[in-house]
Amino acid sequence: MFRGFYTAASGMLAQQRRTEVLTNNMANANTPGFKADQTSLRAFPEMLLQRMGQQTVPTENGLNLPFNGEVGRLTTGVYMQETLPSFMQGDMKETGMNTDLALLDLNLPVNPDTGLRGSVFYAAAGIDGEPRYTRNGNFTIDGGGYLTTASGLYILDDAGERIQLSSDRFTVSEDGVITGEAGETARLGIMYAQNPESLRKEGDGLFAATEESVLENAYNAPNVQFKLQQGYLERSNVDASRTMTDMMTAYRSFEANQKVLQAYDRSMEKAANEIGRIG
Amino acid sequence: MNRTMITATNTLAQLQKQMEIVSHNVANIDTAGYKRREANFTDLLFQQFNNQRNPNAETARLTPAGIRQGVGAKLAQSQIVMKQGALKATERPLDLAFTKEGQYFRVLEQTEDGAAVRFTRAGTLYLTPVSENETMLVTGDGLPVLDENNNSIIINGQAKNFKVTETGSFLAEAANGSIQEFNLGVVLINKPQFLEQKGDNLLGLSDGVDGDGIFTELNGALRGQIGMAQGSLEQSNVDMSKEMTDLINLQRAYQFQSRSVSMADQMMGLINGIR
Repeated sequence: MFRGFYTAASGMLAQQRRTEVLTNNMANANTPGFKADQTSLRAFPEMLLQRMGQQTVPTENGLNLPFNGEVGRLTTGVYMQETLPSFMQGDMKETGMNTDLALLDLNLPVNPDTGLRGSVFYAAAGIDGEPRYTRNGNFTIDGGGYLTTASGLYILDDAGERIQLSSDRFTVSEDGVITGEAGETARLGIMYAQNPESLRKEGDGLFAATEESVLENAYNAPNVQFKLQQGYLERSNVDASRTMTDMMTAYRSFEANQKVLQAYDRSMEKAANEIGRIG
Repeated sequence: MNRTMITATNTLAQLQKQMEIVSHNVANIDTAGYKRREANFTDLLFQQFNNQRNPNAETARLTPAGIRQGVGAKLAQSQIVMKQGALKATERPLDLAFTKEGQYFRVLEQTEDGAAVRFTRAGTLYLTPVSENETMLVTGDGLPVLDENNNSIIINGQAKNFKVTETGSFLAEAANGSIQEFNLGVVLINKPQFLEQKGDNLLGLSDGVDGDGIFTELNGALRGQIGMAQGSLEQSNVDMSKEMTDLINLQRAYQFQSRSVSMADQMMGLINGIR
């Protein structure tokens, strides 16, 4: 009967989920190295409507022939299919802290399959021992002198080892070589993802690799150029005004779907109360 | 339930914490030797929603299955910034300032668990009588300043002239011309993020932690590294314009989040209004 009833409801659900993702982006507008999530909505599978009827052939007795005709296609709603981080470079912010490092993309090859650029990341050791990748260069030195992320995960060098420093008075060159105060050297592990879209976001600024995304050492990757800047942080790439506009659009779309739902309800009210009325 | 509201309130609480750090910095803009703190955020945990009941319907998808939704931002760390503050000349002989980053006086604080060594860069020193014929070098709060062997500095008799050398030697000249020399205790802090702020402009180790590698005592040959100026005070390294810019930025972030809350509220109102 009223086929669009649940379609309108699915529209509300999808827009609500979009608002949730946009709010999280807005919440992280000041998070260093945060990559904004983009949402994509997708229609549910289409249905093909057919009608069944009869055709009367004008003969003497009247001959009825069964008939099947196509009415057309009907999509049955919408859902949020995926959240896809945008790996666009964030702005640079000067902090003057030795332990703040910003990764600046210079030249990253475009993937011919997806038409998107790759991305470079710092390598960190996850709690489970598996590698994690991050763009948040707000590092610190722990009690043992190891370079860690803000939440204490070890930052790895290009051989996958922890980086130990004698003090926070160290220098980092543009190509990732760390020289400590006592002369110790290490090279920051920078990894290159050809398909950063296939990384899985985990929170705490971390990305985890999946089967589709095997990260390689960025120093050896062909045509990959990047630069490190000490004393700077890469800011979040969330555009606050755009996010706010998107949220308003999502809100209005939610409202419109609610109105459609109400219109359906009024139609049903007619069917229930007026059609069946006697006298 | 509408997760927008949870995300936004999570973040509101954390933004408020950063605002507290900013206001603490601004409050200490005139505290001699104060080092500002800088707060930074990170994103909160992401949750995975498996939204594909029929994976075969989306075989062409290149990204990992499911959608991941975050729940806001949290304060990741507030780092102490060791940058040198500006020097203000006071012409007072017992005002001392460090001219190199990371160097701190050693002072003794009496705590509930006994005496503990603390570090400070506030160089407004005073003399306090300890007996009829002895005076002790103390900080503005009356805490004894220590020498290189962690003993308090006690001057015998009446001293009239004080001189502090660039490398931290404290010379007190008595009326009869005799000179008493002390080496002020100075540490170089290597891992400042590991120290706790103990209040009263003091830094110290957390309970039960030994200072190995966290700081170096500048004694003996290392005393040459000390950079000290007499008759000056180090101002706090808080930059008012930076703090105000941060505050404005923060307030806007706070506003954006509260807008999200009211938007979520209106969405829930719409749901209620369906019937």
